[in-house]
Amino acid sequence: MLMLNKRKTYDITMQTLTYLSSLVSIVVLLAIVFFVFQKGYKLLSWDLMTHNYQSVTYIADLKDDQSSGVFISPKTFDEDTFYSIKWGIALKDDENLIGGTSVFVTYIHPDSPLNALNNKGVGVEDIYVKEDYQIIRIAFDGSSSALAIHGAKHMIEVLDTQNSFRELEFSTTGGGIRGSIITTLYLIVLTLVFALPIGVGAAIYLTEYAKNNRFTRFLRQMIETLTGIPSIIYGLMGLAVFVHLTIRLTDATGANIISGALTLTVILLPVIIRTTEESLKVVPDDYRFASLALGASQTQTTFKVVLPNATAGILTATLLAIGRIIGESAALVFAIGTAVKDDIRLTEKSTSLAVHIWSMMTDEPANIELSSTIALIILAIVLVLNISIKLLSKRMLRKQGVKR
Amino acid sequence: MQLNVTPTIMQNKPKNMNDKIVKIVLLSFTLLSSSFIFIVAGTILLKGITPFITQNLGLGKVSLISFLTGDTWLIGEAFQSNLYSVGFIIVSTLMIALLSLLVSFPIGVLTALFIAKVALKRLANILRTVIELLASIPSIIYGLFGAGIILNLVYNLSAAFGYQSKGGNSMLASVLVIAIMTIPTITSISEVAIRSVDKKLEEGSLALGASKTQTHFKVVLFAAKSGIFTSAILGVGRALGEATAVSLVAGGRRSGYSFDLLDTTSTLTTIMLEGMKETTGLDYDIRFSVGIVLIVVIILTNLILNWIKRKVGNVDVK
Amino acid sequence: MNENTVFDVKDLNLYYGEKQALKNIEIPIYKNQITALIGPSGCGKSTFLRTLNRMNDLIDECHLDGQINYYDQNIYHQNMDVISLRTHVGMVFQKPNPFPMSIFDNIAYGPRCQGIKDKQVLKEIVEESLKQAALYEEVKDRLKESALSLSGGQQQRLCIARTIAMKPDVILMDEPTSALDPVATLKIEDLVVELKKNYTIIIVTHNMQQAARIADKTAFFLMGELIEYGDNSTLFSTPQFKKTEDYITGRFG
Repeated sequence: MLMLNKRKTYDITMQTLTYLSSLVSIVVLLAIVFFVFQKGYKLLSWDLMTHNYQSVTYIADLKDDQSSGVFISPKTFDEDTFYSIKWGIALKDDENLIGGTSVFVTYIHPDSPLNALNNKGVGVEDIYVKEDYQIIRIAFDGSSSALAIHGAKHMIEVLDTQNSFRELEFSTTGGGIRGSIITTLYLIVLTLVFALPIGVGAAIYLTEYAKNNRFTRFLRQMIETLTGIPSIIYGLMGLAVFVHLTIRLTDATGANIISGALTLTVILLPVIIRTTEESLKVVPDDYRFASLALGASQTQTTFKVVLPNATAGILTATLLAIGRIIGESAALVFAIGTAVKDDIRLTEKSTSLAVHIWSMMTDEPANIELSSTIALIILAIVLVLNISIKLLSKRMLRKQGVKR
Repeated sequence: MQLNVTPTIMQNKPKNMNDKIVKIVLLSFTLLSSSFIFIVAGTILLKGITPFITQNLGLGKVSLISFLTGDTWLIGEAFQSNLYSVGFIIVSTLMIALLSLLVSFPIGVLTALFIAKVALKRLANILRTVIELLASIPSIIYGLFGAGIILNLVYNLSAAFGYQSKGGNSMLASVLVIAIMTIPTITSISEVAIRSVDKKLEEGSLALGASKTQTHFKVVLFAAKSGIFTSAILGVGRALGEATAVSLVAGGRRSGYSFDLLDTTSTLTTIMLEGMKETTGLDYDIRFSVGIVLIVVIILTNLILNWIKRKVGNVDVK
Repeated sequence: MNENTVFDVKDLNLYYGEKQALKNIEIPIYKNQITALIGPSGCGKSTFLRTLNRMNDLIDECHLDGQINYYDQNIYHQNMDVISLRTHVGMVFQKPNPFPMSIFDNIAYGPRCQGIKDKQVLKEIVEESLKQAALYEEVKDRLKESALSLSGGQQQRLCIARTIAMKPDVILMDEPTSALDPVATLKIEDLVVELKKNYTIIIVTHNMQQAARIADKTAFFLMGELIEYGDNSTLFSTPQFKKTEDYITGRFG
C-alpha cells in the first residue's frame, strides 16, 4: 500500500510539472502577442507607415491666387478645438515633448487655401498644411504674429481678423516609419538578388554536378559550419569586409544598405543552399536518366527538367530568407547602421524595421509604443510567411504522393 | 538524327562548351559559398588580434592576460585608454547561458514530452504550432517584450522581497529573456527525439507494471537522452550568441565581477553592441577581440558538452 | 564486320570499383532485328545494355576496357560526342518515367533540346511518334494534359514515342514490360515487333517467354559472361551449352 501511494504522488507530481511546463509556452506566446498589441495598436495607421520619422519645419506663404474666404465646415468640433471659418482650419492645443504648448491641426477644409501654399525656403515648391501638423507661428503684415505658445484659441482669433498672412511656419508630423519600411524592402530585394543565384547555383552544383568525394564533402561541411555562428559575428565581418568594400567601390562613407545586403547574403546562404538541395534531391533520378538518354546535355537536363520540379523548395527557401531578413537585428546594427533616416539611399546608413526597434529602445527615453507598433507589423508579416511556408510544404508533399 | 545514316565522331560540339561553362560558373558559386567561413573567421581573427600586437595609434598594446581576466571593461576615457578587459564579462556570459538553460531545459523537455506522449492529438498540434510560432519570432521582439514586461516583473518582485534592482535591468531579467527564447529550440528537437523512441521499450515497461508516467520519465526520456542533450547544446549555443534582445534588459554593466542575480550585467554580445553608434580606432578594433573570445567560448562549450554527451551516452549498450 | 552490323562488341570488361561485372563480352548486334538479352538477376544484362549508350558514364565507380563499335566507330573513343551518340541510340526504361509535363511537351523535349523550335515541325514530330508508338488514337485529343494522367501501359508507350521522336537508329529497352500488367505487356510486345521494321531493337527481359515470342536473336548472360548467343529458332530448342539449357528449362533463375 505504501509503494502504491508513493508512486501515486510521484505520478501526480510529475504530471503536474509536465502540464505546467506546457502551459508556459502558451502563456509566453499570448503574453508577447498581447503586450505588443496593446502597446502598439494605438499608433498603427496608414499614415504611420508613410510618414517620415523626422518632422520637417517649413515656412510658407500664400500663393498669389489664393486668399481667405468662407469655409463652412460640416463637422462639429468639441470645445477645445477652435475653427476658423475664414481659413477653414481647426486647431487644438497639445503638450510637446518638453512640456510647452504646441498647436496642432485637427481639420483642414478641403477648399482651404492652406492646402496649397508656397514654400518660402529651399526644396519642394508646393507644400500644404495637413491634419496633425503643428503650427508654430503665423506672421502678418501690420500686426503682431500669432505664436503657438499663446494657444490655439488665440491663433484662431487672430486668423479670423486677417485677410492674408505673410508667413506661416509649421512642422510636419514625424514618427513615421516610412524610411525603415523602405530600407527593409530594399534589403529584401537586394539580398535576394545576391543570395538566390549564388545559393541555388551552389545547391545545383552540389547535387547535380559534384562527384561524391572528399572535396565535395569538405565544401558541404564548410557551408554547414556557417549555421552555427551567432549573427552578431556576421555583423562584425560585414563591418570589416563589406563596409570597406562598398566604401572603396561606391560613394558610400560608412555602413550602408548594400553592405547590409551583402552581410545578410552570407547569413542566408546556408539556409538557401540546404533547402534547395533538399528539394533537388527529391526529384527522382528517373527524370534525369530519361532526359540524358534522349540526348540532352547535363545543363539542359538540370534546367529544363530538374530545376522546374524544385521550384516549390526554392520558393520555401525564399520565404524563409525573407523572414530572416525582416527579423535580423544584431548583424545589421553593424552592417547598416542605426540612423533612422527619411531619405533612403543605397549607399547611406539606414535602419531596417528590426534595427529601428533596437535603436529606439536604446535611446533615452525608450519609445515603447512605436517599437511595439513596429513589432506588431513584423509579427504580422512573419505570421503570413509562416503560413505560406506551411502551405507550400503541404503542396510539396502532396505532389510527391502523386508520382508513382 | 536521321535514319540509316551513321554518326561521325563529333568533336567538341559547342553544346559541350556550354556544359563546361555552366559547370564552372556553378562551381565558382559553390567555392564562394564555402569560402565565407574562412572570410568570417579570418577577418575576426585579424582585426581582433591587432589590439594585442600593435601600438593602437599610440595607446599602447593591450595586454592579453589582463584582457582576459580583468574586471573592468574600460579604465579611463574612451579613445584614450588601452585598458580593456572582458574577464568579468566572460563569467557573466557563461552564468547567464547556464542559468537560462536551467530554466528552459526542464520546461522545454517536459513540454516536448507533453506534446509527444501525453496530449491528445488536437492539443498536441496546437501546442506544436505555438512552439513553431515562438521559434519564428525575431529576437528583437523578445527583447522588446523583456524590456516591457520582464523588467517590470523583476523590479516588482525584487521590491516585494525588499531587494534593490536598477529598474529591473539585471542578470535575472537576461536569464529569463534568453530562457523563453531557448524553450522552442529545446522543445522541438527533444520532441523529435522522444517520438523516435521505440514503442517496444514503452510496452516493455508498462508490461512490468509501471505507470505511464513512470514509463515516460524512467524509460522514454532516458532512451531519448541523446537527442535531448543535443537540444540543450543547441540551446546553449543560441543563448551564448544572443545579442540585441539581451542588450535591452541587461543594464550594460562596465566593471566588476558579480554573481548577484539582481545586479546589472553585460554579456560578450551586448558589450560588442554597446556604443556602436559612434566608434573608431581601438574602441572599434577591440570589439573584434571580443568576437574572438565569443567564438572561442562557443567552441569550447560545444566541445565540453559534446564530450559529456558521449560519456553519458556510453552508458547505453547501443 | 558487314554493313548489317550495328554494334560490334569486342573483349568488353566492365568493373564497378574492384568488382568485375562483365567478362570478355563479344557480340555483334544486327540491323533491324530484335536482340533479346536474358539471364537471372544480377547477371549483367542491364549493365551491358547501358554500355551501348554510355549511360554507365553516370555511375562514378564504373569503368571498362574493350571496344564497342557502332558502325565501326568506337563509342568509347575520347572524342566521341556522347550526346550525339544518345540521339542515335535511344533508351526505354523499366519503370515508365515521363516528365511531369504535358504529353506534347514530353515528346517534344528531345527535339527541342536539339534546337528545333518551329511549332509546325514539332507538331508533326509529335504526331508521327505517337502514331508509331500506337498511342496516337488514344491521346490525340488531350496532348496538353499531363503525362502523369495516363495509365502505366500508356506511359510506357509515351516513353517509347518520346524516344522515337529523336529518330534514333537503335532502341535499347531495359525490361520495358516488367512493371506492366499482362494486357499492356502484350500491346507493347506487338509494338516492338512492328518497330523493328524501322529500328534496331535490343531488349533486356527477365521473362524468357517474352524473348522467345518476339526476338530474332537471343543472348544468354550469366554472372557477367555471355554464355550463348544465337537465333531464337535454335537457342530455345537446341541450346549449345548446358547452362543455357538449365536456365531455359527453369532449373535455376
